[in-house]
Amino acid sequence: MRWTRKRLGLVAAGVAVVIAGLAAAAFALSGSADVVVYNGRSQYGDEQAFKAFKDRTGLKVELRGGTAPELFERLRREGDRTDADLLVTTDLANLWRAEEAGLLQPVDTPRLEQQVPAALHDPAGAWWGLSTRIRTPMRSTERVPADAVRSYADLGDPRFKGRLCLRTSNNEYNQSFVADSIAKHGEAQTEKLLRSWMANDPQILGSDVDVLDAIAADRCDVGLTNHYYLGRKLKDDPDFPVAPAWPSAGAHLNLSGAGVVKGSEHRANAVRLLEFLTGRQAQEEIVENSEFAANPDVPPAEHIREWADVKTDPIDVERAGPSLQAAVALMQRVGWT
Amino acid sequence: MDVAVRRRPSGWTVAGIAVAAAVLAPLLVLPASFLGQGEALDQIAGSLLPEALRASLVLAAGVGVGTLLLGGSLAALVSFYDFPGRRWLDWALVLPLAMPAYVLVYVLLGQYDGSGPFGGRLPEIRSTGGTIAVLTAVLYPYVYVLARGAFLGQSRQALEAARTLGLSYGAAVRRVALPLARPALAGGVALAVMEALADFGAVNLLNYRALTDAIYRVWYGTFDQAAALQLATVLVTLAATLVALEHFARGRARYHQALGRGEAVLPRRLRGPVAWLAPALPALLLLAAVVAPIAQLLAWAIGSLGEGASAEALARAAVNSLLLASVAAVVAVIAATVVAYAPRAQPSRLAGGFGRASALGYAVPGTVVAVAVYVPLAWLDARLDDLAGVGLLLTGTAVGLVLAYVVRFHALALFSVQGRMARISPSLDEAARSLGADRSRLLADVHLPLLWPGIAIAALLVFVEVVKELPATALLRPLGGDTLAIAVWEATKDSRFDTAALPALMIVAVGLVPVVLAIRLSRVGGFDGG
Repeated sequence: MRWTRKRLGLVAAGVAVVIAGLAAAAFALSGSADVVVYNGRSQYGDEQAFKAFKDRTGLKVELRGGTAPELFERLRREGDRTDADLLVTTDLANLWRAEEAGLLQPVDTPRLEQQVPAALHDPAGAWWGLSTRIRTPMRSTERVPADAVRSYADLGDPRFKGRLCLRTSNNEYNQSFVADSIAKHGEAQTEKLLRSWMANDPQILGSDVDVLDAIAADRCDVGLTNHYYLGRKLKDDPDFPVAPAWPSAGAHLNLSGAGVVKGSEHRANAVRLLEFLTGRQAQEEIVENSEFAANPDVPPAEHIREWADVKTDPIDVERAGPSLQAAVALMQRVGWT
Repeated sequence: MDVAVRRRPSGWTVAGIAVAAAVLAPLLVLPASFLGQGEALDQIAGSLLPEALRASLVLAAGVGVGTLLLGGSLAALVSFYDFPGRRWLDWALVLPLAMPAYVLVYVLLGQYDGSGPFGGRLPEIRSTGGTIAVLTAVLYPYVYVLARGAFLGQSRQALEAARTLGLSYGAAVRRVALPLARPALAGGVALAVMEALADFGAVNLLNYRALTDAIYRVWYGTFDQAAALQLATVLVTLAATLVALEHFARGRARYHQALGRGEAVLPRRLRGPVAWLAPALPALLLLAAVVAPIAQLLAWAIGSLGEGASAEALARAAVNSLLLASVAAVVAVIAATVVAYAPRAQPSRLAGGFGRASALGYAVPGTVVAVAVYVPLAWLDARLDDLAGVGLLLTGTAVGLVLAYVVRFHALALFSVQGRMARISPSLDEAARSLGADRSRLLADVHLPLLWPGIAIAALLVFVEVVKELPATALLRPLGGDTLAIAVWEATKDSRFDTAALPALMIVAVGLVPVVLAIRLSRVGGFDGG
């Protein structure tokens, strides 16, 4: 092949056309949105609700997914320059962290007040709850009797040596759980609890689903997960051999929620979306997902109805939030990988 | 008379130095991270470092020994023994190179975890041994390829001389052929260990707390950039030490070439049951590391198609991957051409030195490059926005990510272009210059037409590496800009195995292209010893 300047120009033009085409495709696929959501919830769970919002209002929602720390870091960096309108997270400590950093703005409407009980939103309106979830010990129904686990401390019982499954310590549910414990019981007490768990040589797995599967597959006897993961398993298979072991002193209750971003350019749309997400239609989907709705008008899913009545210990975010860093350091220190 | 007349540096020298410096600059940020607080490590970095360093060293040692034994013995087997299926294995044993470690981990975890076909009956791979085994399975080809090349270059006479001195054939291979191939073995092991140290996806998914994973955890766990930079500096020091060790070991041991004359070794024919065992074991390895995972991916992919997998998300990830990879390839090729051409346009020790130094990025793990690129860009971004109010031009978009790719893979492009340029006779340059062409015209009309195969290969290599790249992408991706690699990683983290099958298949398919090309090229050049 002979190369002349003309041919060189042709190749360069060809490459440019291909790149322009790809860029156009990327732009077309992302498109322009009427409201941009920084979404920390699983990319698959909630998409339906956002589609329904578009059908109802004609407003196009763009979801940008990431883990809560990624979203927080991005928001903090972007400041007033951000494209984001609404921040959605799976746990309250991360909303608190965003509020504390001045990244959220208060909003309040009669509809929001009516749809979300006072206990499930920030008094000033910086964040609003979408759903509640319990993080509780789980036990094998085949190998662990119902009364063997009555508290978080029981997971540290030496009888479960090598038979305890936990999720990684960089998971936000675990971090919030530990931070809340530090806030309520002090760091020394919490360290004792975690050290007793670590003394059981826990298997550290990648997700709550892995933990439940490991218990079912006889690789573990007990574990710690959010309640709705088991709810989903039981929905598919009522004989799934794992059951929650509710702590008698109250089970750690966390909140998935959302707040309007301070630098939002579409504040009205963001508020509308927030109202929609806490409204009946979207909340029913959350219940479908085995979570508990924030909206008191939407009852829990049939197959886990009695779980809604267990004694809970709601996260005290004003005190747990500031303990997040200490929680991460503590988990590091005791060797929770 | 050149000595007397000090010429002004040409535009090309300046451009070459500037481009090389731009590629090199982010890496200079790393040691600077220690300046802020004297010599002391940040508290977080200090508490994480001992464990992470130990984990990385154990991983390096394990993968080093593993790839040496596996790659070395496979190369010896194929080189010195003949058995059914040898010609086929000769090239097939290179294939695991196309399999990114995190894709293999993704498949293994999917099969291992509860709902998979083996639900809980495989040995635990979330362990030190499991991590080393997985990385060894995809990295041994580095040792295999280099050792195979060295064995092919050995002469029959050396082996026969050993046999006349009373050694059995097997002992002659062990005691003569293997030591002669030591430089090649060391080179292959060094490459494999560098890749193992740089790996992020596999160690992250397997919960192995190596340095790359620690950097990621610090970055997003505590938002402490100084600590992340310090850990990155430790990791890059480790990689640099390895490069230096390898260079040192090789520098003293070049004797394999002196024996390279004479006739090539004739592989000895194996007989009896051994003749069938010899191909069976490597075939099993390939089955486990390549065939079975691809079959599993296909099965999941078909399953997910049936369930109406999110076609839009897949299309977005694919377009993003291709776009990033093509832009990075174009930028890297232009940068490489400028850096390679500068010393040629006008000999300059400085331009040459900068050129060589700019290749350092390849020894630096993607996680480190990302951290190193981000910090100066974020600073620049804020200044730019203050000046012009343009928003976060560099870190809020893919610009930072593309720069990270170029820094990381500049060496790949540079070596391809330089290798080709070295084959263009300088007398051509002189002829063109004497006919009145200036330096730019010389490049456009003489060099580029002759360089194109090198440029094409450079672009291909960078393109493929970017599609496979995970660690830098995980840290710097623009939100909503998921790539194929990110899709696989995210889905594996959440145990959503079938949703990532199609992206994983696409990555493996792209990764196969250069491997298959290399196999074809080497076969033309007599790689299989026939």
